[in-house]
Amino acid sequence: MTNFIDFLLGGFSNGAVIALMALALVMVWRSTRMVNFAQVGQAMFTTYIALTIQQSTGNWLLALAVAMGAGLILGTIVFFLVIRPVKNSDTTGAIIATFGVLIALQAGAGMIWGGDPEGFLPPVSNAGLEFAGRIWPISLYDILVLAVTAALVIGLTLLFTRTSLGLSMRAAAFNPEVARLSGVRVNRMLITGWAIAGATGAVGGVLIAPVSTISPNSFDILLVFAFTAAVIGGLDSLIGAVTFGIGTGLVISLVSGYTDASNAPVVALVLLALNLLLKPDGVFSHHGSRSV
Amino acid sequence: MSNVSDVKNVEKLSSTQKLRSFPGNRIVWHAVIVGAVWLLLLLLNNNIDPLYSSYLALVAMYATAMFGMTILVGLSGQVSLGNGALMAVGGYVFALTSMNWQTVPIFGWQWNAVWSMVFAGLGGILIGGIVGGLAARLKGPYLAGLTLGLAVGVPAITNRFPELLGGENGLMLTVPYPAGGYAASDGSEAAAGTDSGTESTDPDADPGIDSGTATGEDQYAELDLSEFDQGLDENIDPNASVGTEDLLTEGDLLTLDDLSDGGDLGLESAEPTVESSIDPNGDTGVDLGVDAGLDPSGFTDSFDSGFIIERWQASMAIAVACLVAFAALNLIRGRQGRVWKAVRDDPIAAAVVGISPSGSKVSAFVISSLFAALAGAVFAQILSFVGPGAFGLGLSLSLLVGIVLGGRSSLLGAILGALIIVWLPELVNGLAGDRGWPDQITNNAPNLLYGLLVVAVVLAAPGGITGTVRSWIDKAQGKSRSPLS
Repeated sequence: MTNFIDFLLGGFSNGAVIALMALALVMVWRSTRMVNFAQVGQAMFTTYIALTIQQSTGNWLLALAVAMGAGLILGTIVFFLVIRPVKNSDTTGAIIATFGVLIALQAGAGMIWGGDPEGFLPPVSNAGLEFAGRIWPISLYDILVLAVTAALVIGLTLLFTRTSLGLSMRAAAFNPEVARLSGVRVNRMLITGWAIAGATGAVGGVLIAPVSTISPNSFDILLVFAFTAAVIGGLDSLIGAVTFGIGTGLVISLVSGYTDASNAPVVALVLLALNLLLKPDGVFSHHGSRSV
Repeated sequence: MSNVSDVKNVEKLSSTQKLRSFPGNRIVWHAVIVGAVWLLLLLLNNNIDPLYSSYLALVAMYATAMFGMTILVGLSGQVSLGNGALMAVGGYVFALTSMNWQTVPIFGWQWNAVWSMVFAGLGGILIGGIVGGLAARLKGPYLAGLTLGLAVGVPAITNRFPELLGGENGLMLTVPYPAGGYAASDGSEAAAGTDSGTESTDPDADPGIDSGTATGEDQYAELDLSEFDQGLDENIDPNASVGTEDLLTEGDLLTLDDLSDGGDLGLESAEPTVESSIDPNGDTGVDLGVDAGLDPSGFTDSFDSGFIIERWQASMAIAVACLVAFAALNLIRGRQGRVWKAVRDDPIAAAVVGISPSGSKVSAFVISSLFAALAGAVFAQILSFVGPGAFGLGLSLSLLVGIVLGGRSSLLGAILGALIIVWLPELVNGLAGDRGWPDQITNNAPNLLYGLLVVAVVLAAPGGITGTVRSWIDKAQGKSRSPLS
C-alpha cells in the first residue's frame, strides 16, 4: 500500500505536464479541427531556448517567460506558414505537414544545440520532501510544477469563459460561419488558438525538462501520452484534457513503478486503442456520431 | 536510374486502351514488365561497384515498404506512422524463426530464408489485420495518433521480453546465405534443394550482444543515413583495422558493426584464426555505424572471393521488391485500386454503390502491413541484426517522407521516394565533406531538408514528383485531373 501511494504521488507532476501538452493539442483542435503533431517539437524547441537563457542568466522565471513568448511566436509562425495555406485543401496533407514541421524542428534543434541529452537545472530542490518521518516521492519542484499548471489551467478557463476574446474563440471554433456573420474575426481567433497552444506547450516543456533530460527527440513519447490523454478526453474538452492528462500520468507512474518504465509507451498504446474501440469520441465530448 | 524509366514505360504501355480492356492481358503485361525491370536491375547489380549494390539493396528495401505506403496513404487515404513498427514485426519474426526453427523441416523442406520470409509476411498480415480493424473505425488524426503510438510502443515491447527479443540491444542473426557463399561453416549446413541454402546455428555465444551500445535511444536512426556514408568511408581505410578481441573487450565502443562482424566470426569459426579476423570498421568508425544501423560494406573482407555480400543482399532485396511491385501493380490497376480510391474520395458514395468502406480500409492496411513486414525481413537480412533502434519512429517517418516526396499515389512515386531517402543523405554528406561542415550540421541536414521538403511539397505540389509531372503532362494535353488521383 505504501508503494501504491508513493507511485501515485510520484505521477502527479508528470501528469500535470502531460495535461499541459494535451491542453495544447485540444486548443489547436478546437480552433482548426486538426491535431498538431508538431506540438511537442515546438515545445522541445522553446525548451532549448529556455535552457540557453537559464544557462546564461541563471534566472528560471525569465527562461519560462521567454519560452512562453517563443511558444506564442512559434505557434503563430507554424499556423501562418503551414496550416493556413494547406488546411482546407487537403486534410491528409495537413496531417503530413505537421509531421514535416516536427522533423524539421527536431533537425533544426539538433543543428543548433547538438543531439546529446542536456540537463536542465530545476529552480528549487528536486529531492523528495521529508515529512512525518519518511521521505515522500514529491519534491518542492513537483509542487512548483503543479502550482504553475494549476495557475495556467485556471487562467485559460477564465480566458475562455469570462472574456469576450474567449467567447469569440469558442464561437469561431464551434461554428466559424455563424461566428463570422456575427462579426467575429474567425481567422484571428484561429491564430490566437495556435499561439496560446504554443505557449501552453512551451510551459509544459520547461516544466518537464528538469525531470527528464532534453534532446531533440526526448519529447516524442510525451506526444504519445498527450495525444492519448487528449483523445480520451474527447479532443474538444479542456477539462477532459486536464483530467485525463493527470490520469495518464498516474497510470504511467503506477505501471512504471510496479513493472518497468519501458512499459509506459505500450500502456499508452493500449489505453488509446481501448478508448478508440469503446468510446471513440472520448469521454467528455458532445460530438454527433460519424456518418460512415 | 534505369528502373525509374522502365517503370515509366509501364505506365505508358498499360494506360493504352487495348490493355485496359483485357484484364488477363494486363496481368501478363505487368509480369513481363516487372520481369524486365528485375532483369535489368540484376544486370545493373552485377556490373556496379559493391558499394553501389549496398545502396541498391537499401533502395529496394525502402521501395518494398513504400509500395505498401502508396496503397495505404495514397490510395486509401489513411496516414499511418505504423509501418516502421510493422517492419519491426517482419524483421523480428524473420530473426526469431531463422534462429530458433532452423532444424524444423516444413513439407519436407529444410528451414530456410524463404520460410522465414513467409512467416514474417504472415506476422505482418496478422498484426496488420488487428491494427487495421481498429484503424478502420478511425479518421485522419486519430489514425495517425494511434499508429504513432504503435511506432513508439512496438519497439518498446522488445524491452518487455529481453530474453526472447534481445531487449534494447536487439538480436543478431546469422543470415541464411546461399550455399557456397561461405568458405566454411560450422557443419550444420545442408543444402536443401533451394537456392537460398539453409541456416547455420549461431555458434558464437554472441559476445557482442551484451556489450553492444543501446541503439534504441536514437529515434531518428533511419533518417540519419548520412552517417552511414561516413562509416563506409572509414571502412575503406585498411589501416584502421583492429583485432576483434580488442574490440570485444571495449564494451562501450561496440556497435552494430561489431555485432555484425561478430555474426560473421561465428560463421567462420571453422577457421583457426578468429583473432586475426579484421574489423574493417576500425576504431574511429565504431560509433558512426550505430546511428545508421547499416554498414553492409563491413562484410567484404570477411568473405572468400567470388561471393560479394552486397550483391547478394541487393539481388535478394530486388527479388522481394519486384514480387511486391507485381502484386501492387495488379491490385492498384485492378478493381481493388478503384475501390480504395472510391472510399478515399467519398466513403458515403462508395457505400451507396455497395462497397464496404471499412472493409476497403482494412484490406489496404493488411496489404501494406504485409509489404512492410516483407521489407522488415529484408532489412533484417541486410543488417543481419534486428533491434528497437533500427525500427524506431524515425523509420516510420522516413517512409512517410519518401512517399510524400516521391508521389503519394503511384508506385513510381514510391520508387522515387526510396531513391530520395537513400540518396539525399549521400548528397548532403558529399557537400559537407567539400565544405567542411561540422558533424552537428551534417548529421541533421538531411532531416531538416526532409521536413522542409515535406511541408513545401504538401503546400505547393501535393502530388509529389510523380503527381506534379503527371499534371504537367495532362496540362500539355489539355486534360485536367487532380494531382492526387
